[in-house]
Parts: sequence; C-alpha cells; structure tokens
Amino acid sequence: MNTLKPKILLVENDQAILQLMEILLKNMGYEPVLVENGIDALQLVRREPPAMILLDIMMTPISGWEFLERLRSEPAHKEIPVILFTASTTVMERMAQMNDPRLGILHKPVTPSELKRSIEQYLL
Amino acid sequence: MERYSTNREYRISRPDIIHLLVIVALTLCCIIITAVSFSQHMETAYPQIFFFPILYATYYYTWRGIIVAGVCAVAYEALVYLYFSQNAFSLGSTIFQTLIFICVAAGVAYFIEKLKISETRYHSIFEFALHGAVIFDKNNFAIRLTNTRFKTLLGYSADELARMNFSTLFLNSDEQHRFFTELGSGEDIKNFDTVLVTKTGAPCHVILSWSMIDEYGVNCSVVDINECQSLRTVLDDTYTQYEQVIENSPIGIVILKDRKILFANPAFSTFSEYKPDEIIGTELSSLIHNDDLEEFHVFANPLETKTPPALIAEFRFISKSGGTKLAMLFFTPIIQKGHNPAVLINIVDSTEWEKQLGSSRQPNEEQRDIIKAVAQELRTPLQPIMGYLHLLIQDPMTYGITDETRQILDRCIKSVDQERQIINQMLELSVLDSGDAPLEYSVFPVLDLIRKIIETGGYILKAEININVPQELTFEADVHKISMVIDAMIANAVTYSKPPKKIWIIYRIAPLHPFHEIEIQDNGLGITDSQLDEIFTPIQPADAHKQKRKYDRVGFSLAIAKKYIQMHGGYISVDSIKNIGSTFTIHIPKQKPDGGEHPET
Repeated sequence: MNTLKPKILLVENDQAILQLMEILLKNMGYEPVLVENGIDALQLVRREPPAMILLDIMMTPISGWEFLERLRSEPAHKEIPVILFTASTTVMERMAQMNDPRLGILHKPVTPSELKRSIEQYLL
Repeated sequence: MERYSTNREYRISRPDIIHLLVIVALTLCCIIITAVSFSQHMETAYPQIFFFPILYATYYYTWRGIIVAGVCAVAYEALVYLYFSQNAFSLGSTIFQTLIFICVAAGVAYFIEKLKISETRYHSIFEFALHGAVIFDKNNFAIRLTNTRFKTLLGYSADELARMNFSTLFLNSDEQHRFFTELGSGEDIKNFDTVLVTKTGAPCHVILSWSMIDEYGVNCSVVDINECQSLRTVLDDTYTQYEQVIENSPIGIVILKDRKILFANPAFSTFSEYKPDEIIGTELSSLIHNDDLEEFHVFANPLETKTPPALIAEFRFISKSGGTKLAMLFFTPIIQKGHNPAVLINIVDSTEWEKQLGSSRQPNEEQRDIIKAVAQELRTPLQPIMGYLHLLIQDPMTYGITDETRQILDRCIKSVDQERQIINQMLELSVLDSGDAPLEYSVFPVLDLIRKIIETGGYILKAEININVPQELTFEADVHKISMVIDAMIANAVTYSKPPKKIWIIYRIAPLHPFHEIEIQDNGLGITDSQLDEIFTPIQPADAHKQKRKYDRVGFSLAIAKKYIQMHGGYISVDSIKNIGSTFTIHIPKQKPDGGEHPET
C-alpha cells in the first residue's frame, strides 16, 4: 500500500512546521519526506524523486530559490511540481518572471483544506 | 509799541511830531517868559522853567534830550547877554546855570535808558514767549495785553483781541462754565485743560495756567497742546488697530503675569472654551494636561527671572468641555522697567493640523520594510497553531475532542483566522504604499461577483441582503481588487447594522455618468464626521494612543478598499444619518484610465 502513496518532499527549516506537516500530509494520504535544508533535499531528490516538493524560501545554507534553480537545471527534475510554501510577500514577481507552469505558491499560514486543494491542483 | 523798537533807523512817526511840537512849544514858552521877565527887570525869573522841555525831551528821547538842554542853555545865555551884557558877574553865574541844564539832562537820560532796557527785556520775554500769554481783567474779562504766540494761536490781530473778551474765546459754553468755576475759586490755577476757538472757528486744545497780578488783572499762560492732542489721536488709532489685530487674531494670545492670566484674546477663548472673565486671574498651568504639567513648569520657571528667553514648545490643553487640545506655544517676555516681567504667549492650535498630519502621514520605505518583516515573522509561527487546530477539529475522535472542547477550538480558529487576515492586510497595505501592486484589468460580470462574495463570506446568514444590480452589468477593472473592495464594504455593513440587519446593494443606472456607482446601504447607527476620517485610515503606531479605535473588527480592509478604488481612478463616498444608517458608494470610472489622477475620497 505504501508504494501507492504519492511521495511529497517538504523542505522547511522550521521544526514546528515540519512536525505539523508530517501529520497533515499523512492524514491526507501522502507519504511525507522531511528535509531541513536545500542541500540534503537535492541529494534526496536525485536518489528517489518525489511526486511533489513543498519548498520554503527563507532557508540556509541555500535559499529556496537556489534550490529551485539547481533542481530545474537537472533535466530529470524539470517536471516535478513545486509549491513555494512561504511567509514572504515578495515572491510573486520572481515567480512571474520564471513563468513555470509547475510552480505554485502557498502563503503561510494555510488551513489544511487550502493545503490539500493546492497539492491536488499541482500533483501530476 | 514803536517806542520799544530796537530798530536804530531814524524814522519820524506821528507821536514823534507831537513830542517835537511840544518840546519846541515848551522851549519857546520858556524863552519868551524869561525874555519878558528880563525886560521888566524882574529879578525873580527862574531858569528852572527850562527843565520842562529838557525833561520832556529826555524822557522820550533820552540822550537826545541833551540837545534840547544845549539849545535851552544857549537861549538862556543869549537872553542874559542881551539884557545884562555889561554885567560880567551875571554871565559867569548863568554859565554855571546852563551847565546844570546839561548835567540834569544827561543824568535823567542815563536812568531813563536803564529803565527802558529793562522794560524792553521783560517785554520781549512776554512778547516772544514760546507759549501764549494774555492779561485780562478779572471782573469783565477784557483783554489787556496778549503776546505774539497767543495771537498766532488763535489767528487774531492785536487790535481785534484788544476789543475782545477773554471769556468769548472758549469753544463752547461747557468749557466757558468750567473756566468760570475754576477762576471763581480765586486761586492760582495750573494745567487747566480746555478748548478755545480760533478766528476760523476751529477748536484749539490748550492748557491754561493763571495767576492774579493785582486786584483786577489776571496773567494767563496758554500752552498749545494741539499737536499733543493729534498725537494722542494717532496713538488712540494705533491702539485701536492693535486691539483689532489682537481681538481678531486666529492665534490665541495670552499675557501672563506672575503665572496668572492677565489677558486672553477671543481666539484663546475659542480654543480653551472658557470666557475671558472665567480665566483672567487663574494660572495658565491649570489648563495644561496633567502629563505635560511637569514640562510646562520647566518652561514656566525661567519666565520668572528678569530676562526670560524666548521659548517655543508644544503642550496639551484641557478645554472647558474636557477635550484635549494640542497647541504650539511661543513665549515672549515683556520687560517693563521696575516691574516683574510679564510674558506674552502666542498659542497656535495644532490639534487639527496634527490630525491632518496623522492622516496624511505615509509610512516611509524603512517603515514599510519593518512592517513587511514583522508581518512575515508573524506568519510562520501561526502555521503550526492553525494547522493543529484544524487537525483537532477535523478529527475529534482520534484526539479525544469533546463537543465542549471543539467549541473552544472553533473560537480559537476564528481568532487565528482574524489574525491571519490582519497580518495579510498589513502586508497588502505596505505593498500598496510602496506602489508595487499593479492592476490587472479584465471585464467581468458584477452581479455574479457580488453573489459569489456573499456566498463565500457567509453574509447571507448574518443579514438580509437585497441586491439591485442589472444581470448584464460588467466592469472593466481588476476583478480581484474590486472583489476585495465589495467584500470589505459588505463586511462593514453587516458588522455595523442593527438587528434585524438589512443591507441593500444597489447599482445606480446613469448611462451618461462617467462613473459606475454601487451603493452599499446598512441600517446601522450611522457614522459621525470624526469617525469618517478614521475608518479609512490605517492606524499608525504613533497615533494609536490618541485615537479610540471603534472599527477594529474590520481592521485595515476599508483602508485597503480606499486605495484599491483610488488605483482605479475612482473614490468611495459616505453618506450617513444618525440612527438611520450609512451608505457607502463605490465610484469606479467606466473608462479604463490611462494612469491619470486619482481623485481623493
């Protein structure tokens, strides 16, 4: 059964949010994979690509944007849907410039139903 | 008066001719009498009769009298020679006699001249005095003597005055009566202020001082105070002007003496709401707000020193009705010799100014960045709270949530939602202020949009909403932003209507009007003018203590709505009637503007 669950990678450096999202995503029937930074996340994607990535922007050592650039530079991972999961308001412009149909955004904080709706919209 | 003339030029006047004739006649008489008495051998003839012409001439012509004396001496000597020529003794004795003539004439001339110089001196003091002088009769007021100054003052000639009565020179019977009363006291009077009349009938302000010179005569000096009087008039005029300036000044003016109010103008009365007589004599500090009192005393203290410096400071006042007013105070010392300094204080009411400044104050870029950063920081920790609350509510069985707990959690979720909304609005406002929010125009049906907003917002459950908008109506605008505006307006109407809550949404059909107009009416308590300014204004942290926020539930939504509509080139107007309700009207241009001006609401 486990193999049928879509794997969702969450890249987020806030522990409290990681813990919450793990429960929420599990409840929604997904298999959450939790990573605290972009470097680890890239390695994980290369090892076993997820069905979707939820990506925080303000992270160290590499920001969400840098992670996204490196991810999209690898042809194998161009198609993975990414939802920016951020508290920042200044991302819209940059998003518009990227013109990536597989890129969405969720503004923190979100309700579980908003999260679910958004994931369902972008999940392949 | 010619006899007092200092002019040495020889000039024969009528009195001179008369004097000359008298002298000649007297001399001839003396010669004839002496000749007759000699011819009759009357030894009793006296040469002393020649003293008549000699003294007469000397009295009037001083040294020239000696000539007459000489003539008389020669005549007498000639007569003696004629009748007693054979007698040498007689000749010798008569020479002695004629020398006496000349000596007496010289002596008298000397004293007469002395007297005349003295008299001339006194007379010129009288005549050419800088003030007028007049001598009149105490009983019938007949003018005896006047000087030049008096004549020029009233414009009469000496002859005219000589025929006049001093009492007729007063301007009116009142002045005359006062003069009689004063004169009747019989004492010497100083500084009697009165008005005389000139020959032309003009009033002439003078000060009279008089004293009795003898039983009948009164010597009166007349000081011209017309210039003084006109100066006084000018001063009065200037004072009136100053008074008008002070009375009509929009700036409050207060004069303090020993900390107490000595004077306050109407503008200060308007400002403080106290009538002048209510505050005169009270301490200004009693009107100052308690929190500012300490600072005010710091300012008030130097005012008691001899040379207080000029100061400017801002203080809060408590008006009579208890309201707080802000004013800029300019302290200026008024130093008077030998007195404690008074203080002039100009009070500029800055209440309104401060209010306007507050509403026009825009956060600068730095402030906007801080707001953004704070809002973003607040968003992140909200996520777990919100997520867990929803988790608990959605799956109460798993987490053992009772119905009671669920109700509490529901309330928590509502509050968290509200907070999220406020944070989002804060961010939206700071983005709008920075001008980084472009409009995305599209054409959309309005009725559908309104229905969707009402449905999504759950407003239909809270109030009876009547919509009167044509089905086919479309707007060309930023649908997302217009949707936010209408949502904010409906939320506002729902919040502030009275049960049973009734709301009307009406589109005003006016094909020729350049604006679309949508009215959102409620049946609420209405909004006062002062609240009107507040509801569209996001609260500035610095102003928060000054305002009593009554519209906190709506948060920043009306402020954002106003900006959205302004961005479209439109405006929001409000009509409100107390206890009947308010009507908010959204005006949006029918034509998409070319980035033109945004009219203010």
